[in-house]
Amino acid sequence: MSSTKAKDQKPEPVVYSEAALRNNAVVVEYCRTSMAALSGSTAGILGLTGLNGFAFYVFAVVSLWAMFLIKAGPNWHKYYVSRQSVLTNGFFGALFTYVLFWTFIYGMVHVY
Amino acid sequence: MAELLLDPKIRLWVFLPIVIITFLVGIVRHYVSIILSSQKKIEIIQVQDSQVMIRARLLRENGKYLPRQSFAMRRHWFNNEDTGYFKVQKRAAASQNPMTDPGMMTDMLKGNVTNVLPMIVIGGWINWMFSGFLTTKVPFPLTLRFKPMLQRGVELAYLDASWVSSASWYFLNVFGLRTIYTLVLGENNAADQSKVMQEQMSGAAMAMPPDPKAAFKAEWEALEITEHRWALATAEADLLVNEAKEQ
Repeated sequence: MSSTKAKDQKPEPVVYSEAALRNNAVVVEYCRTSMAALSGSTAGILGLTGLNGFAFYVFAVVSLWAMFLIKAGPNWHKYYVSRQSVLTNGFFGALFTYVLFWTFIYGMVHVY
Repeated sequence: MAELLLDPKIRLWVFLPIVIITFLVGIVRHYVSIILSSQKKIEIIQVQDSQVMIRARLLRENGKYLPRQSFAMRRHWFNNEDTGYFKVQKRAAASQNPMTDPGMMTDMLKGNVTNVLPMIVIGGWINWMFSGFLTTKVPFPLTLRFKPMLQRGVELAYLDASWVSSASWYFLNVFGLRTIYTLVLGENNAADQSKVMQEQMSGAAMAMPPDPKAAFKAEWEALEITEHRWALATAEADLLVNEAKEQ
């Protein structure tokens, strides 16, 4: 009996739809860019400087990730191959956008 | 380090315009390259080749779901020494030098015109128009190494490294706005340099093997060494086991 159980728990081969996966990745990328722009602006308005700003970026990324997971619910593996990649993909690309917006709004509000 | 006081007019007439100009130039570049881009002519033989390649690959990857005879039949159609598709079809070895193909040349030229030229022209214009301003300060400390990067055109030895000059602000914008273009113009926009990579990723069905002869040979070899292992051999037994357990 135990042997059949172990056999059942062996993960079944999963077939992914390439197009759907790509579409999901594009949507996640959109959200990430918007998140970077918005949180960058927020950090600029708040006048965060130095490490506080980068900590705020990490906070924003993680909270976006949490939102994805809540939205996907327990069936997350229907939408993403792995949860970690949703967190880490494009981390540095979005960081560039974040820094640009942060600098821009910080300059607009606090420098002059 | 004493705080510098910048004139608020710099914000209105230098800092903001650079952002807006960079952004709008990116948009214009997108549409100009749409106008200039020529529809690539696709020959039917190329489409045929690429579809055959896809079919062969699918057979290789998913052939385990076919009975042995069906698999062998399909492989025979591709690989038979006398009548197999990969053996019969003789494609000329494509050794096209892009320089000899005038269409390719114009494409390359257009790519340069839409990508490099605006960068140089607008960059030069911004350098000339807004030269010598300190525009903003990055909100995090930087080391002295960043001074030549962030303070182009303002050569002050004792200025803190986190101040940004106008020319450098332009370049920061050029690189930072890329993802925003993706957001505004949609995927695969021409303002984005990484578009070429995207095309390679998504256009699997349309991608022609650049050299059909070599591609056919490679696919023939790969198919030849594929070992058929029927995945569904134990399907009935598995089904019965599951049924028995559910009851």
